[in-house]
Amino acid sequence: MSALHDELKANAAGYVLGILDAGERREFEAHLAECGECAAEVASLRPVIGVLATAVPQVTPRAEARARVLGQVIPSLGESREFASQRGIRWLPLAAAVAVAAGAAIYAARVHQQVVDLQAQLVQAQSATSVLAAPDLARIDLQGQIVAPDARARALWSRTRGLVFSAANLPPLPAGKVYQVWVVTEQAPVSAGLLVPDVSGGGTAYYMTPQDIGPPVAVAVTLEPAGGVPAPTGDRYLVGTPTPGV
Amino acid sequence: MQPAAQSQAEDLDCLRRLASGDQASAAALYDRHARPVYSLILRIVGDEGEAEDVLQEVFAQAFRQAIRYDASRGPVAAWLLMMARSRSIDRLRSRRTRPEAQASDDQHAMDEMPGAMPDAATSMLSEEQTRIVQRALGALPLIQRVAIELAYYDGLSHREIAERLEEPLGTVKTRIRLGLLKLRDALTEARI
Repeated sequence: MSALHDELKANAAGYVLGILDAGERREFEAHLAECGECAAEVASLRPVIGVLATAVPQVTPRAEARARVLGQVIPSLGESREFASQRGIRWLPLAAAVAVAAGAAIYAARVHQQVVDLQAQLVQAQSATSVLAAPDLARIDLQGQIVAPDARARALWSRTRGLVFSAANLPPLPAGKVYQVWVVTEQAPVSAGLLVPDVSGGGTAYYMTPQDIGPPVAVAVTLEPAGGVPAPTGDRYLVGTPTPGV
Repeated sequence: MQPAAQSQAEDLDCLRRLASGDQASAAALYDRHARPVYSLILRIVGDEGEAEDVLQEVFAQAFRQAIRYDASRGPVAAWLLMMARSRSIDRLRSRRTRPEAQASDDQHAMDEMPGAMPDAATSMLSEEQTRIVQRALGALPLIQRVAIELAYYDGLSHREIAERLEEPLGTVKTRIRLGLLKLRDALTEARI
């Protein structure tokens, strides 16, 4: 397979998500027309987008929003309204309202079922995204300590939105142990949560942290008994202090 | 008739009556779809007042275009959600202070989003299918989920996501692709 094909195929997901710029999109569409493999990938990825569209927390708009939306339709349909009544379909609104009320209830129940469980799963990822967009975002790079000189990690912390933590090259956990992430304030270290790295020693996690803690002077990772501890007791594996102005 | 197909038939009936001047069908269309449409808008723009503005724009566009709606384009629910996403992201983009993006014709690229029309089959999921999708979402590495979310809900380009995550462009493309492929496989497994 050609290098150009591979490069273009890497844009298939972006195309389906609608995030290519105009030039990239034209280029990809031209390629799509003659590449069955990429066309198949695009077709197979489209259903995923439908899931993303509905997998958000479901919120009913205010009644005022309904009045506003429907208020705008009346003038725009004014001309045809007279036409409609002349044709003797005045009865339609009532019949339609009955039919629609039944249909809407079934639809609402189905959508509700579909999203309720997804919401819980997505809250974590949405919170992580919101940390990245936080106005009070602080970045803290952590360095490996004597027990794990190759380990490194980055923490992105927002007082209001929590902590996104990503680590690499952590040594495998001994049996009965777990890594614990701490936001260290001038008063005391505050536990952010536990971290279990994957086989490569990497791990990414999102933690809610208490909003009322003092300004963090450091973020640290220690090795602790499984289940975690209220205050650090074990070796420090990673330590970092906030980067000014980030 | 399958529930999704029945729902689509009712939607098409709504649009037909709307096009012939029946105002009750505007309310009907709104009542059937306002909640999921508003929820997606709110997720993207993050502000209730702005979300209501966009909600109004989306339904105004739907009412205007009802007469031209071609059923072969796919489910009405997906059409409304696609307009909701593209208008919400337009709103986000105009909020961002990036002159070069505002000046380019990409500003309205989202209006078309040719690739982004969901399939008919995905507009309604059964409970079992939902659980499978849910497990797949939960199983995605967080960094993949975040990259997909920045693309889908924030409308960021590959390059913008790479800057935000401080990762190479190629890595970001790979993360997004792998994440979507995993979700796709879960959908396939659920025969969605």
